[in-house]
Parts: sequence; structure tokens; C-alpha cells
Amino acid sequence: MSSPGRVVVPKQEAGAYRVPSLGYRILVAALRLIPSFFLLVALPVAVLAFVNSQGVAIPISTNAVIVWGFLLLGLGTARSILKPTRAYGPLSVATSLVSILYLLYLIALSPYRLVVPGGSASIAAGYSMFLELAMIVPAIGLVAGLLITIEDARAPTERLPFDYPA
Amino acid sequence: MAALVVPTHRQPPAIYRAARALRWASSLVLVLLIIYAGTVAYSAVEVAHSSVQSRSLSASFAPNGTVEVGGSFTLSNPGLYPVDGVTLTARIANGAGVLLGKLAVGPNDIAPSSTGVFPFDLYLPVSASGPATSLLTEDQYLGVNAWGNATYAYLFPISVSLTETRSWGAPFEGFQATVGTPSGGGGTVTIPITVTFSNHAGSPDTGTIAFVIESPGFVECGGGSFVINVPSGGFYDQTQNVALSPGCNPSGGQVLSTYLSSGGSTPLPPEAIP
Repeated sequence: MSSPGRVVVPKQEAGAYRVPSLGYRILVAALRLIPSFFLLVALPVAVLAFVNSQGVAIPISTNAVIVWGFLLLGLGTARSILKPTRAYGPLSVATSLVSILYLLYLIALSPYRLVVPGGSASIAAGYSMFLELAMIVPAIGLVAGLLITIEDARAPTERLPFDYPA
Repeated sequence: MAALVVPTHRQPPAIYRAARALRWASSLVLVLLIIYAGTVAYSAVEVAHSSVQSRSLSASFAPNGTVEVGGSFTLSNPGLYPVDGVTLTARIANGAGVLLGKLAVGPNDIAPSSTGVFPFDLYLPVSASGPATSLLTEDQYLGVNAWGNATYAYLFPISVSLTETRSWGAPFEGFQATVGTPSGGGGTVTIPITVTFSNHAGSPDTGTIAFVIESPGFVECGGGSFVINVPSGGFYDQTQNVALSPGCNPSGGQVLSTYLSSGGSTPLPPEAIP
């Protein structure tokens, strides 16, 4: 209930926003790095190392996984830190494009051919269909990034009250 | 004077709303894919632990001069996803690489948490004119090449190829029909014939071995038969005297033998008479 003489204006509807400090955004991005690092680098490298230790040839080098993983981590972190800026949209597009390229690189390695130790049997497992399906995720992200880029070009700070309501 | 400003509800820009909805959709798809990939990996490990098993493998004589190798193999699918389009093709060759026979199984589907049973029959021609005559009388190693295809969890095609050698135990290993020295005189001349072999097959040799003694001019000098019932791993050695036709000299001829069983008749390799 408003008291006489006071103006009640919902902050968001008035367009007010409060962008977190750079230090805070770096802290949040660093915290987000932990699960991302586990998913994109640590887990794949651990699985590949375990398979390799069993005498089974692996389809991709661990170095490639590390390079692609850190590239995506770097882009994702920069995107998170720069979310309040106009670089957010282009960085989202770049992250999605690199993700698509990574998936295309993995598709090129399919099928995975495994020769059972002893050489009497071989197994080929195709996973390209799954990766093609997984490309939906960065493809949607790419479109979203383009829309944000357009929005920021049209009205640079218009989205900030909704991203960072005061 | 008090002022009251009635706020007008402000919607986020349409482009921003669309981008946000797409980000949510992207996150949802990502979560679903991670759950799918995780369950596929778990199910695949479960399937791998329940390896293919063959059972009720048997070999028996069949009509048209063939040996029928019949059996089945089972594939358990304890996982959460189906195994679709399971096919298996196998080719069997003798030690010289000559194709003896091939079989094809499927396509069949195995539902989740179920077991697929795939029966098969392989006919190996062992007649005198077939490429596998030696299977009757010679133990040997056979080359087996097998290929299998299937699709797991809708999206993962898998192919398996297998190359191995399997030992073959001949049902008439070392078969010999040996003709001895003729005896007698006057009106009747007899000649002893001895049949020996070992049964190295997995099933008994049950039936009759009929034989004919031919002269070099392909004139039938005489014949007879042995009733046999040789278990797997058994040895057979029997002799009987055969009365020769008057004036027929088998020297330089041959002994033609045929195995007669419930599965039909199967010619055995001819034996030359010195």
C-alpha cells in the first residue's frame, strides 16, 4: 500500500538495473568453470586415458580434447564476464561456432574402430548420428547469439534491466 | 500534493524474449542429451557384460550329401534401449581357403530387458562332387569369418567382424576300405574287405556303410554292407568276406562306399585296389 506523497515505481519496469562489478563477474565465471572444466576436459581425458591404459587404441588424441576443451572454456568464460557488454552476442555466436566445429571434427572421426586385443575381432561403432543430433544445442545457441547481437545493435542497454534487475 | 504514478507494465524486447527462450530450449536439449548419453553408456556396459553365447551346436548328416551344422546363439539385452536390425553373416572355408558354406541370420530386433535367440542352420556339402568331401575323412581347421551388424539405442550403428579358426572332427577320420587277398577256388572266390575309421565328430555314426567292389573296367564284382554304430570318439574296424562274381578280377579296381543313415546317403571317398 502506498503512502501519500511517495511514488511507487517497480524498479524493473522503470528500466533500472545494476550490473555486477567486474570482479564479481570474474568470480561467478570462475565458479562456472569448475563443472565446465569437468565436462569438457577432465572427464573426456580421464576416459581416454583409462581406455588407452587397457591397451585399446583411442579415436582422438588427448591433446586435441584438451585444446578444444580449453578453447571452449575460454570463450565461455569471456562470454560470461562480458555479458553486460555488446560483446556478449558475438561471443555467444563464436562459442556456438567453435562448438559446432568441435562436433564436426568428432563426426569426421566416426566410426570408432576397435580391434580387440589378440586381433581376431574388430568392432566399429558409429556415433555420427548422435553428434549430429547434439549439434542442435550449439545451433540454437548460435541463433540466440545472433538475436542478442541484433538486439544490442538496435538498443545497446535495453536488455540490461532484464539481465540485471536492480 | 501526493502523486501516484501507475506503472505501465514493461515487457522485455521481443528479440530478447526470443533469445532467452532459445537459450532455455538449448539448455533443455543439452540436459536431455546428457541424460540420454549417460543412460546409453550405462546400458551399453550392461550389454557388453552379457556377451553373446552359442548353445545347442550340433552336426548331423542331411539329405543331398550335406552335413548340417545347426544351433543357435543368444544375445541378452539388459539395457534400457533396443538393439535393432541384428544381422549375422558367416562364411566357412577349409584350410585351403575354399568356401564350404555360409549362413545368414536376421535381421531381428531385441527389445530392452530381453534376450534374443537366433537359430541357424549351415549345410556343408560333403558329397563326392562337393568342395568339402575331405570333411568326412580328415580332421582339419576351418576358417570362420563372421560379420554382424546392429543399431543400438536408435542412433548408434555397430558392426562386428570376427575371424577365427575352429577345429573340425571328421566323422570318418582315416576311413579305409582295404581289400585283401582272394581265396577259394572252383565255383566261389571270396575276398576279405576291412573297413576302419575313427569317429572324431560330436555325434555318433549310426547306419550302414554299403560298398561295391569294381573291376578296372567298372564291372561290379561284388558288394556288401557294414552296420555301424560308432559313438563320438569311437574306433571302427570290421572285416567281412565278399563273394566275387565268377571271372571278375578286382585287382586295379576300386571300392566305392556309401554311408546310409536317416539323413540320407553320403558317398565316401573311393579306395583304390592294388
